[in-house]
Amino acid sequence: MTDTAMEAAGLGKRFGRRKGWALRACTFRLPAGRVCAVVGPNGAGKSTLLAHAAGLLRPTEGTLTVLGTSPAAARERMAYVAQDKPLHPQLTVEDTLRLGRELNPRRWDAAVAERVVADGALDPDVKIHALSGGQRTRVALALALGKRPELLLLDEPMADLDPLARHELMGTLMADAAENGTTVVMSSHVVAELEGSCDHVLLVGAGQVRLAGPLDDLLAAHTLITGPAADLDDHTVIESRTTGRQTTALIRPGGRLTGTWRSTTPTLEELVLAHLRSPEAPPLHLDDTVEAAV
Amino acid sequence: MTTTTALTAPERPTAQRTGRLHGLTWTLLRVHRSALWFWILYLAVTAGVILWTYGPGADSALAELTRLGCRDGDPNLGCDTGSSRVSRWDTGMALGSTLITVAPLLIAAWAGGALIGRELENGTAQLAWTQSVSPARWLAAKLAVPAVLIITGTLLLTVLHRMLWTSHLELARWYGSWSWYDSQIFEANGTLATAYALLGLALGVLAGMVARHSLAGLGVGAVAIGIVVQQFQSLRPHLWPAETRKGTGDLGMTVGTGSYTSTGARLPGLLCGDRAACVARNDVAGVYRDYHAASHFWPLQLMETGLVLALVAAATATAFWLLRRRTA
Repeated sequence: MTDTAMEAAGLGKRFGRRKGWALRACTFRLPAGRVCAVVGPNGAGKSTLLAHAAGLLRPTEGTLTVLGTSPAAARERMAYVAQDKPLHPQLTVEDTLRLGRELNPRRWDAAVAERVVADGALDPDVKIHALSGGQRTRVALALALGKRPELLLLDEPMADLDPLARHELMGTLMADAAENGTTVVMSSHVVAELEGSCDHVLLVGAGQVRLAGPLDDLLAAHTLITGPAADLDDHTVIESRTTGRQTTALIRPGGRLTGTWRSTTPTLEELVLAHLRSPEAPPLHLDDTVEAAV
Repeated sequence: MTTTTALTAPERPTAQRTGRLHGLTWTLLRVHRSALWFWILYLAVTAGVILWTYGPGADSALAELTRLGCRDGDPNLGCDTGSSRVSRWDTGMALGSTLITVAPLLIAAWAGGALIGRELENGTAQLAWTQSVSPARWLAAKLAVPAVLIITGTLLLTVLHRMLWTSHLELARWYGSWSWYDSQIFEANGTLATAYALLGLALGVLAGMVARHSLAGLGVGAVAIGIVVQQFQSLRPHLWPAETRKGTGDLGMTVGTGSYTSTGARLPGLLCGDRAACVARNDVAGVYRDYHAASHFWPLQLMETGLVLALVAAATATAFWLLRRRTA
């Protein structure tokens, strides 16, 4: 058993020669057992990253290893739910779960899958095309959890769900992951959706990894300060706004803060937004990969 | 693979309930259940048409010809105009072979659209690839399972069609409008029906892989098989050395005709307006015809089948290569 769930080194992907890079020089390491949030704006490359991890795309350059091996070799040990929750519309819920059993003969746990479906009070005989968005997501999740994955990849899992369904499904998911020690990698462009459930963060912007590391460490490495405008040269300023004589800034402290600053720890959302508003801010890796990759 | 894993689920009674089909085969047949029913229906209808033409259709046509006095050896002008029962028999002949030769087109459209294009378009292919099934195994099943059904079905129809064709040669020769070398008869009477149906599958799958879209896959698949079959039909007479006969007359599958001179030189493209002057000027001694007699049926059939199967192999290899290039 490896303690690394996913590791990328210089991963890059370009779709066709003429288009730009969807991902470039991505390097990060995700320890096993974490719940990792992949955050970033739409089109940042989150889906491309997850599709590589799922073995659906071949990198243009660099490597990505999953569960200590190649994504193709780890196929059986991970599950993936794509953004639009593809399922065969003409199949019933029951047949969809049967498909999970037939295609994962060595791992399938019917009880888990059936419980996820039953929790949503879904009729097993109803066809997929008759389901609502939330019900469909539930079936897709049942298919993924029934596989008993060591690594669960979820691309925008809650995007089209109402708050109640989102809360319920997130509860189901987190309980299952905690119980089995599953590593979960979940992407979202709604940061608030993930706060409170994740303990590791990967911020992707414009195809590059901007922040990578344990959530607490990343938050601790930044400080949100407010005070009269003053010199901040000793620190890495991610974003700074001055209103009158008052400055609000998100910094990575480079030493002792001098002056009359009021400082607080930022929230995940503040951290993410500040980095997205400042594309030139240097990336920060707190997952021990930078030395290895450079 | 490193996983031997202790996660094997306990045996459940439901596993035995649905018989012998498992894994990808079950998935494929379940997802494409309506296509399977359509194929069974298509085979039943085609076999029905052929069997009717072979049995009741031929019997009633022959009975009518007997009643009209067309089978007693005496010349009878009334027989040339044919009769409704004979023309019904002839229509049965046309319909049976048409249904056999149209199958590759339908198969290509289905394979490009529903089998591959739609799955790549809506992501259900990726759903399969993220179960414990590699893309290569997925594609192999997509080819193998339909191929088995296609081979079984088309061979059955070919056997029935040969039985029909060989058992009523009298009717076919004197009252039917079909010859052994007519495209649809030629294809329906031999291995080509199966080879073209397989080519429809292979080209459809390749079209779906290229188009990654159901409607585009359907269109490209159908057009591709249409073009290829047409090319083969014009190539067909040249796939085996022809025989030559001097003079005219219907001898079989014509490869080429023309005039020859007194030295034996051929003038294949000679067009004569003023016939007498033209013949004299060009020293034309007579006309010749290159043709295939009915005895060339199997050599021609097998040569073409070989080429078609080579194309099937090439299209299949290309589809796997495309898949491999795209996925991890």
